[in-house]
Amino acid sequence: MPCGLFFSKYEKDDAIFKTVWLKCWMTVLVVLLLTFPLFSQKFSEMLGLNVTNLLNLIFVYIIGAHGLNLLTGYTGQISLGHGAFMGVGAYTTGILANAGWPFWLALPAGGVMTAAVGMLFGIPSLRLRGLYLAIATMAAQFILDYAMRNWTSLTGGSSGLIVPSASLFGFTFDSDQSFYYLALAFAIMATMYLKNLARTRTGRAFVAVRDRYLSAEVIGVNLFKYRLMSFGISSFMVGIAGGLWAYYITIISDEHFTMWLSVQYLAMIIVGGLGHVLGGIFGAVFFVVLPELLRLPAEAATAVYPNIFGIFASLREMVFGLIVIMFLIFEPDGLAARWHTVRNYWKLWPFSY
Amino acid sequence: MRKFGLMVAVSLAVCLALAPMAGAAEIKVGGIYDITGATSDVGKDYGTGAIAAEKYVNANGGIDGDTVKLIPNDYAYKIPEAVNLYKQYLSVDKVFVIQGWGTGDTNALRPLINKDQVVFMSASYDGNLTDPKQTPYNFFIGTDYSTAIRLAMQFAQDKGAKKVVFIYPDHPYGKNPIPAGKAYAEKIKLNIGPDEIVDLKAIDATSQLLHMKQFDPDYAWIGGTTASTAVIIKDAAKLGLRTKFMINCWGFDENLPKLTGEAAVDRAYGMMPTAVWGTDVPGMKAVLASAGGQAYTLHYIKSWVSMLVMTEGLKRAKKAGKLNGPGLKAALETIKDFDTGGLTAPITYTPSDHRPNTSMAIYGVAAGGKLQKVKDVTLERVPEYIGK
Repeated sequence: MPCGLFFSKYEKDDAIFKTVWLKCWMTVLVVLLLTFPLFSQKFSEMLGLNVTNLLNLIFVYIIGAHGLNLLTGYTGQISLGHGAFMGVGAYTTGILANAGWPFWLALPAGGVMTAAVGMLFGIPSLRLRGLYLAIATMAAQFILDYAMRNWTSLTGGSSGLIVPSASLFGFTFDSDQSFYYLALAFAIMATMYLKNLARTRTGRAFVAVRDRYLSAEVIGVNLFKYRLMSFGISSFMVGIAGGLWAYYITIISDEHFTMWLSVQYLAMIIVGGLGHVLGGIFGAVFFVVLPELLRLPAEAATAVYPNIFGIFASLREMVFGLIVIMFLIFEPDGLAARWHTVRNYWKLWPFSY
Repeated sequence: MRKFGLMVAVSLAVCLALAPMAGAAEIKVGGIYDITGATSDVGKDYGTGAIAAEKYVNANGGIDGDTVKLIPNDYAYKIPEAVNLYKQYLSVDKVFVIQGWGTGDTNALRPLINKDQVVFMSASYDGNLTDPKQTPYNFFIGTDYSTAIRLAMQFAQDKGAKKVVFIYPDHPYGKNPIPAGKAYAEKIKLNIGPDEIVDLKAIDATSQLLHMKQFDPDYAWIGGTTASTAVIIKDAAKLGLRTKFMINCWGFDENLPKLTGEAAVDRAYGMMPTAVWGTDVPGMKAVLASAGGQAYTLHYIKSWVSMLVMTEGLKRAKKAGKLNGPGLKAALETIKDFDTGGLTAPITYTPSDHRPNTSMAIYGVAAGGKLQKVKDVTLERVPEYIGK
């Protein structure tokens, strides 16, 4: 039995799922995900959490996190405007859906609109890097945030905008269970897209720009083109996430797409793992599930000490912050790196050396 | 072996003590409160009041033997978070009644509430929510904001005012009552100045007040919560404005004089749907007893009354054998002149009108920082104002 991976063909070395075992595990995962709604109700009641709702949110955030990971993790351009970009996608999709556009048209239109806005605000990336770019994109965040709140005739202002449920081929995705499949499909598409993009000429150009932009330019990578392209694709993905989110929550208001969401997206990919496809997935799971898990002890403690319900509710936010800091200190490469460590340990278990 | 036997006995006893009494069913109630968000200055006491009322209801027989189980959660005044909690309560906890909070989220949840037939008792007294044709499952216990703003305009005119201005945060809570107030002010021939926007989290309102000073109104409406109201009152005193302020029920409470000092005296007037803390009325005894010597604000009382009215509805629904959303809705609509022991004016819901009442008290601040009733006011309960 070989104690490692020995490929005799380049195709095999290039495959996404390299071993039989990996293929088996992926099949198990896909089957589990597809059949999940069948037993989600039992599962939710056992945990005391609405698991389907959480998974739907996770799928939506995975798409957005992949988007930002492409920009920040692969191309090395920081953005503090992705919260607002998600809002642009949500509002565009919502407004078009209210104008009678079908789901399959309104959602990509939202993505394209967001891509356009993202590229516009990505133009400064030609000259600005690092912290300077962060501030420039933060300006985008504030400008868009202001527009969402005050362009009342278009966005409904602070009262929010009501969006119809998504419907496709006469079927309406108006329950958590039905939306689950829609969100799952888009999350899988986004993941496959990012995974494959990273293996293409474009993806390698992105990485070259990130690692040393001067060398990249010397070997013929058009910096401006690839930076802008990265902004465009990244914004498109986060716009799609916003559009899906609008169809799911069915009411959008500006207070969701604040600076906090932008920071949360960044935190997601940093905690998950910058420049790893798995990073976006782990990050989204972490940031959706942890606050909900922290709600459970707060709820239980309230049953015993009702008078300090307020303290427990605030404590939850603090514990959340603390856990994020701990992760950054003890696993700075993100959950994806830890995942690889664990996987490599088990690969040769019990004969590792 | 004896040790083991003892342990089994003890753990059995503990289990028995913790287990709910046999035969008593549990009626779960979802709770959406703001503990850490923009309106947490008034939301904390509201949450505390609800939990105290739950205890009180269960200690006094519950719902004819059934216990009420409130599941309180913080949503930080974010609409999407309220939608999440709502879904959680419906799918996991299987509730048919929810105690809610803000105007924005309650209005946002309207389509879902109607679809799921869940009784939603909000802390938002938005006039929009009083028309059963639009919102059959929305109830609340305080005089609605639209009635309050009309009464405030009437009060201003009775005091000889000619010019008024509306100050409010850019939030559904602040904005929704304004059209009703303006229409009424026009009807009674008051001159309306330009609106001023003061955020819920504002720490300075000087620029808005300086702008307002050019119009120099006799009275101004404040549609914010206590923290931002205190900022406005203090800045108005600092600038020496002669304007007096009529304040919506979430911006005027026992904390306001503490935050403003003497500035509020003869300057701030609150439109109060409930009695203030410690008022000498029969219903206050149980409230004070539940607080165990602690002093809270009147928002505690609002929440308390909301739970009591819900309890009354649940009792009636149980008697009719329909403990579900539509059953509770029908039961609440039979409530007529429900006596809250003087905590609020008597409450009446009908199948065509969900306004609880149209009477309130106007409070001012006496020297020394005590809240003092100025006048009881009532607007005629006319059908044309339902849902507006």
